[in-house]
Amino acid sequence: MSGGPKKYDAIVVGAGPAGLSAAAELGRAGARTLVLDRDTRPGGQLVKQTHKFFGSEKQRAGTRGVEIARLLREEVAALPAVEMWLNSTVLGFYSDRVITVERVKDAPGEERREWLEKVTAPVFVLATGAAERFLPFPNNDLPGIYGAGAAQTLMNVHGVRPGRRVVMVGAGNIGLIVSYQLLQAGVEVAAIVEAAPVIGGYLVHAAKVRRAGVPILTSHTVKEAHGREALEGVTVWRLDEKWQPVPGTEKYIAADVLCLATGLSPLAELLFQAGCQMAYVPELGGHVPVHGEDLETSVPGVFVAGDVSGVEEASAAMVEGHLAGLGAAARLGLVRDLAAVAAGWRAELASLRAGPSGEKIRRGLAKLAGQTAGMAASSPAGSPVSPASAPAASAPAAPPPATSAPKPGKPGRTLSPQLTSTGEPAASELESSLPPADRRRQGPYAVIECFQEIPCDPCHKACRTGAIGPFPDINLTPAYEAAHCNGCALCVAQCPGLACFVVDENYSPSEALLKLPYEFLPLPAAGHTVDLLDRTGALVGSGRVVRVVRSRSKLATPVVWVTVPSEKVGTVRNIRVPATKGGAAE
Amino acid sequence: MRIQDHPILDFSKGRKVRFWFEDRELEGYEGEPIAAALHAAGVRVLSESPVRHRPRGFFCAIGNCSSCLMTVDGRPNVRVCVEALHEGMRVQKQRGGRGDLA
Repeated sequence: MSGGPKKYDAIVVGAGPAGLSAAAELGRAGARTLVLDRDTRPGGQLVKQTHKFFGSEKQRAGTRGVEIARLLREEVAALPAVEMWLNSTVLGFYSDRVITVERVKDAPGEERREWLEKVTAPVFVLATGAAERFLPFPNNDLPGIYGAGAAQTLMNVHGVRPGRRVVMVGAGNIGLIVSYQLLQAGVEVAAIVEAAPVIGGYLVHAAKVRRAGVPILTSHTVKEAHGREALEGVTVWRLDEKWQPVPGTEKYIAADVLCLATGLSPLAELLFQAGCQMAYVPELGGHVPVHGEDLETSVPGVFVAGDVSGVEEASAAMVEGHLAGLGAAARLGLVRDLAAVAAGWRAELASLRAGPSGEKIRRGLAKLAGQTAGMAASSPAGSPVSPASAPAASAPAAPPPATSAPKPGKPGRTLSPQLTSTGEPAASELESSLPPADRRRQGPYAVIECFQEIPCDPCHKACRTGAIGPFPDINLTPAYEAAHCNGCALCVAQCPGLACFVVDENYSPSEALLKLPYEFLPLPAAGHTVDLLDRTGALVGSGRVVRVVRSRSKLATPVVWVTVPSEKVGTVRNIRVPATKGGAAE
Repeated sequence: MRIQDHPILDFSKGRKVRFWFEDRELEGYEGEPIAAALHAAGVRVLSESPVRHRPRGFFCAIGNCSSCLMTVDGRPNVRVCVEALHEGMRVQKQRGGRGDLA
């Protein structure tokens, strides 16, 4: 390669949720922006996320990741100022702010071409994401031991099952979500193994896999893997309170795939090369760039966004992308009043992190804020929002009359040890999700089994009768008032956690009607007899399908109406279509 | 191992092509990663470790970890988890280390 580097106003490295959001802001501001990604399709890891996102409307909550990837792609493609190079790997960030890119052209019928390019710009947004962590145990190098994200790529992007029977390591959101997606792809999940005594991911995700019959073994880890040419089985064992393995508790589980969902580490190589001041913050995933609320690193003009700045949910990555893009555009003089424009995004980011599920991130950012003291940055250090400063819920002293407006959940709710360690709600929690007994007999009502404070509000957006009230703080649990509920089940189809159900106890003298979300194949049809399963996936009876409500789009969640023996309506939360009906998912 | 019918997704595939893995003729879809085509054909061992000759499969599937390096059309160290499959490709396990990087 000869000659000087190609010049742009801004360069974004990484076309995932953070990078594309940054590019959208830069492009809208009129900055000539180059987006680089090593993959052949933009969207980063969104392209394999088949689940519906949490968060609020602005982060496209209730929309599946694959669809968000498409929307972001279209948004950026419509901006003439933005140019995108795919199949383009950034190799180095040099001291003169030139980056080198390895480009590949590999189209069918054409000769494969690889070449290097040099590019530069006054501002950069580095949004390189994160990589999956490994776990040490004997034989961990056997084929069949994959990153959970790798298994997800294989099945959700390329349509190939990673194997027949999987053991998942890690009950964080990735482990829980990928387990559910493996089931949807027709793969058996033998168990989810989690070293911590509690489930780390959202408990609504845990409930989805539990009612499909997948055990979650908390306080367990992998002792060793077995196999000659490839994985054949896994021995797991229990950990005591001090995280030490307990001999004699070994269990052998036959499996041809072991997925590791043991955390992510920021892909920070370019940041080191760029000379950014780095800090080791375990809460944020490892080595992260020291940065303030404006997402600018210690190197002026070099911004970060998404997992590389601290591992978090994709909804936060998108908001950070907007903030970094706006910051970079302001640095170019293309945004006049940055503080005003960024205020909304900053508030959103704070609200996403405000609940108990954002506690770790807040702790990590506070540590990072300590580091920024030595930085010459003009902006104040990130000041994470504490849960106490979240808008307080209106909390009347006495229980409200049945006709009152929905009452928001109280913040700081404690969860039962049973729920946090197994994913199954305790009796008291289930009781709290039910309307009063006299209301239950009056007609259909919703049961919202959402006990954990997570940032999410699509149920309120879906509800047209006002039964599910607005969220004064997105981290609160839903505010439901059965007096306003007509059992329409729009919340059932919309809830990203699939935690809403509708019950009609008056369906017949001996049967109740249950409306539940069902995202598996084959879908039953009206008149079919199906197995009724409880919250642990155990068979508790059989029911008749009355109706299946589905949209033309496969992206919407089908709602199955099924009859349930009256006495079991509080127990049944899943169905199974017997193999003889409608053919298998193969 | 291919998913024919998925509750959420539809998979758009390129045309069917034939390729060689060692001395076996296999089928895959044009443009999909070589590793996906191999996996769909039941091939999980992609190479062996340089010193102890232990079997190696892929790990990250996004071109990050180097666990899936194979020799493709005589070119060594190809990350088959991200390299597109083409008609007639010759894919071989990489043996004896990665000394031929030059």
